[in-house]
Amino acid sequence: MDPHLALQLIIQGILLGGIYGLIALGLSLIFGVMGVINFAHGQMMVMAMYVSYWLFILLSLDPYLSLVGAAAAVFVLGYLIQATVVNRILDYPEAMQVLPLVAMGLILENMALLFWGPDHRSPQTALSLQTLWVGPVMIDVSRLIAFVLAIAITILIFIFLKKTNIGKCIRAAADNRTGAILVGIDVDRIYNTSFALGAATTGAAGVLLLPLMPLSPHMGHDFTLTAFIVVILGGMGNLIGALVGGLILGLAESVATLFLPATLKQVVSFSLLVVIMLFRPQGLFGGKK
Amino acid sequence: MSKIRMTDDRMDRRTFLKVTGAAGLGVTVSAWGVPKLLRAEPAPIKIGSVQPATGPLAVIGQGQRRGNQMAVDYINSRGGIQSLGGAKLELLLGDSESKAEVGRSEADRLIQEGAVMLIGAFQSGVSMAIATLAEQRQVPFVMDVAALDDITQKGYQHVFRLFPTVSVFGETGVAYVKQIITEKKVEPQRAVVTNTGDPFGKSQGENFIKWFEKSGLPIEIVDHITYPLGIHDLSAEVAKIKAAKPDLLFPVCRPGDSIILTRELHKQRVPLMGIISPGSPGWYEPKVIQDLDKLVYYVMDNVPWVYPASPVYQEANKLFQEKYGTYLDTNSGYAYAGILVSADALNRAASTKTAALLQALRETDFKDHPMVGKAVQFKENGDNINAATAMVQVLPDPDPNRRVKVVLPKEFAEADYVFPAKQLWERE
Amino acid sequence: MTRRHVFFAAVLLVLLALPLFLDKYALGIFVMIFFYAYVGQSWNVLTGYTGHISLGHALYIGIGAYATTFLAQTFGITPWIGMLVGGIAAVLIALFLGFLGFRFGIRGVYFVIMTIAFAEITRLIVSHVEALGSFSGIFVDFNPSFWNFQFRGNLPYYYISLGFMLASLVAVHLIEISKLGRFMVAIREDEEAAQALGVDTFRCNMFAIAISAFMTSLAGAFYANYIYYLHPNSLFGMALSIELILRPIVGGLGTLFGPVIGSFILTPLSEISRAYFSKGGLEGLHLILYGILAILVVLFMPKGIIVYVKRALHPILGTTNAE
Repeated sequence: MDPHLALQLIIQGILLGGIYGLIALGLSLIFGVMGVINFAHGQMMVMAMYVSYWLFILLSLDPYLSLVGAAAAVFVLGYLIQATVVNRILDYPEAMQVLPLVAMGLILENMALLFWGPDHRSPQTALSLQTLWVGPVMIDVSRLIAFVLAIAITILIFIFLKKTNIGKCIRAAADNRTGAILVGIDVDRIYNTSFALGAATTGAAGVLLLPLMPLSPHMGHDFTLTAFIVVILGGMGNLIGALVGGLILGLAESVATLFLPATLKQVVSFSLLVVIMLFRPQGLFGGKK
Repeated sequence: MSKIRMTDDRMDRRTFLKVTGAAGLGVTVSAWGVPKLLRAEPAPIKIGSVQPATGPLAVIGQGQRRGNQMAVDYINSRGGIQSLGGAKLELLLGDSESKAEVGRSEADRLIQEGAVMLIGAFQSGVSMAIATLAEQRQVPFVMDVAALDDITQKGYQHVFRLFPTVSVFGETGVAYVKQIITEKKVEPQRAVVTNTGDPFGKSQGENFIKWFEKSGLPIEIVDHITYPLGIHDLSAEVAKIKAAKPDLLFPVCRPGDSIILTRELHKQRVPLMGIISPGSPGWYEPKVIQDLDKLVYYVMDNVPWVYPASPVYQEANKLFQEKYGTYLDTNSGYAYAGILVSADALNRAASTKTAALLQALRETDFKDHPMVGKAVQFKENGDNINAATAMVQVLPDPDPNRRVKVVLPKEFAEADYVFPAKQLWERE
Repeated sequence: MTRRHVFFAAVLLVLLALPLFLDKYALGIFVMIFFYAYVGQSWNVLTGYTGHISLGHALYIGIGAYATTFLAQTFGITPWIGMLVGGIAAVLIALFLGFLGFRFGIRGVYFVIMTIAFAEITRLIVSHVEALGSFSGIFVDFNPSFWNFQFRGNLPYYYISLGFMLASLVAVHLIEISKLGRFMVAIREDEEAAQALGVDTFRCNMFAIAISAFMTSLAGAFYANYIYYLHPNSLFGMALSIELILRPIVGGLGTLFGPVIGSFILTPLSEISRAYFSKGGLEGLHLILYGILAILVVLFMPKGIIVYVKRALHPILGTTNAE
């Protein structure tokens, strides 16, 4: 085996894995707090990518600069989705919870198609072709930045949940809904905020992906599935687990290239998923939440 | 209930159309004047267009629709179908959503709405489903674009295809590669083939390799990489390509993966003599040209391209540019040609009846199309005998709409090709 | 003869006579209505009655379609027999999935994700089997005859799909009134309580998933010989899995007539809205409306449209006990 190739694949896998982790973090947060699975997760990410894309095209604002703005836009979107739809279905049987969010994904995906057309958009940003070389091994600068920012955002979310008042309320509502209501927390609003926060993190991840891959209305679905796998690997509702799960998946997909055709890589991911659910349903890392 | 009544209406209109059509000029001589009015406005002849207007191939699907529609407008602006009293064409639109079952159901709807012919459907799978429906319903189906050989291997009587089959692509592609290597006196040793994992990509990639090995070219195909359609990241695959140390890359792409592939080749500094696609979208679409800019320069693609010197092309392309801001390419060009061929058949058949249309289609000998290649003539199985490909190359030009140039065969060429090309990262 | 019997007989008569008044395209829509009602009913057996959500039911359609077509094209076995073989294959896979899921206590969203994973894994594997057409899919040969399950017009498909739907109604009704059916509902309401009361929940769950998979796979055989083209992405893909659960949920989950009512509403709606909005410039709008409708129904009619249909039919049917 070519050692340079292996090293190259490992580095690329880890860097992409960081972004996978950030995408999944939002899903894990939403599940951890409300117990619903956001089937529109990838599609919400795509919305943020379009916001960032248009800011780049119209105002020449680099995606890294529009990151906060795009995340904020999806924060609002998430807040509205939770307030209008998800809050009403929390007490439904699970089968009925699945459909509205699946339908939401369908709506978002086709809104993107209706508004912006089917084109694959991939403008060349300032950094999208920059590379660093360590001997024969290439490090993609946009990937490195994305990785670093993804880790930074994950840490920020963590601090937010631990230290701030809202963060504490979110954790309280996640642990015990009735208890939270009893101590006077406006649980609906906390839920809205949690969903919005989960949406914003996936939105931020999408913006980080913008310099790396063409944007198109139909790409969201794949990332929803990726996020599922990561979250199961790391443990549903486990935020650090999401990050580590992302790194593992990124690494596994990249290194699998040595042994498997690209078209079969997902078999590995999905098989891993089933095995983890069977033997470590709490995820690879640690105890139950 | 209203559905039923609507259908009856339509039947009446169609009968009416036949009457006016058959009566033709004769009616105008009548002293009444009213029939003259009728003759000027015979009911339109409906052609059903089913294309992937939504779904992952929507970019191309909408281009297909535009090509179909523009040709319809062109025919109408020239006075419609002469032999049917100047009847105008009307394009009924169906959306396959890139799904076979939807394509089938849409085609069925268009037939019911009065389409006397079908055109479409870009994807081979969807085209197959519609071909079977056309055979069931006994309505002629003209495939403007669809490449898999299998579709016309079923012995269907109602199916015609303008586009080259995958076998044609393989044979011509390898011949062009041979010509390029000989003319430029270069000696590439190793090559990698990549393709998307969908019916077209798989078939195109495998066929190319088959013809390549048959040709006896002294180049070894060292790796054949298949990745899913709509993939988001090719960094690992490109690392693998780099490790295989190829001199030539033969990629079968779609818009989207072509962009990722090229950028990764740049980032990972994969040295290549050239990128030559065995024939695939992803290299000549306006959006790709615009987004990849210099990186897509010198990429060659073996495709059935438009023939820039043909007056039909120039007229159509001018309108297309005005209306949609982009140029006619392989697919929209064939969509355009498909309607022209259908209109020609309608005109010669002087009827909208299936039997007459089939007869006229089989006798097609249609030169005035905008594509590279001789007159459209259909074989027994419905394939176009003269379907040909050209080698196009993306060459530097200040106007992004003029960068795709025909370079081979020489008699159609607009420019000389550049080979080997400068490396991706050495372009300024 | 009660009034209900008369009513159902009248409905049946109308459905039997309907093709006399319909054109081919309208017939085609009815074929899809019956098809989706049947598939929805098959899914309903598992998810509606036991509460275990499958979002990978396309898996069984795919197995049915591929098995039938493979046997027909390779060995010349008639689809009428081939579909039973496909059914058995689907049952085996479903039992494996069920064994893992129910033995290892995988429930709720975990079960959902496992069903997705199984469908996706199968999709990817089939995409690599040359004998099954790999990425190219299978182009089904068209040789119309009853024996080949292939017909020129839509009329035979109409009656076959109607037959499928009616048979599924009878089958599910029989399950409903059986002991198994009552146990399944008990599991849906509270699995632990049911177990405590001595219900062998594992066995009931396994029966439910096996019946559901078998029924669903037969629809695959129908699909193969109606569409004539099989592709792993469209037959095992999540889009189909989502499509097929919409109707029973909108109609009324876990009810005998829910999937049928849902299909009678959603199928024509999706056809008509596509036809209407697929004109230039509005691509995708019909799917947006479809999504909005699904959300509205779940939010404001969580028990499904069947509740309102029942209320409307109350004067004719009198009180009903079949919920």
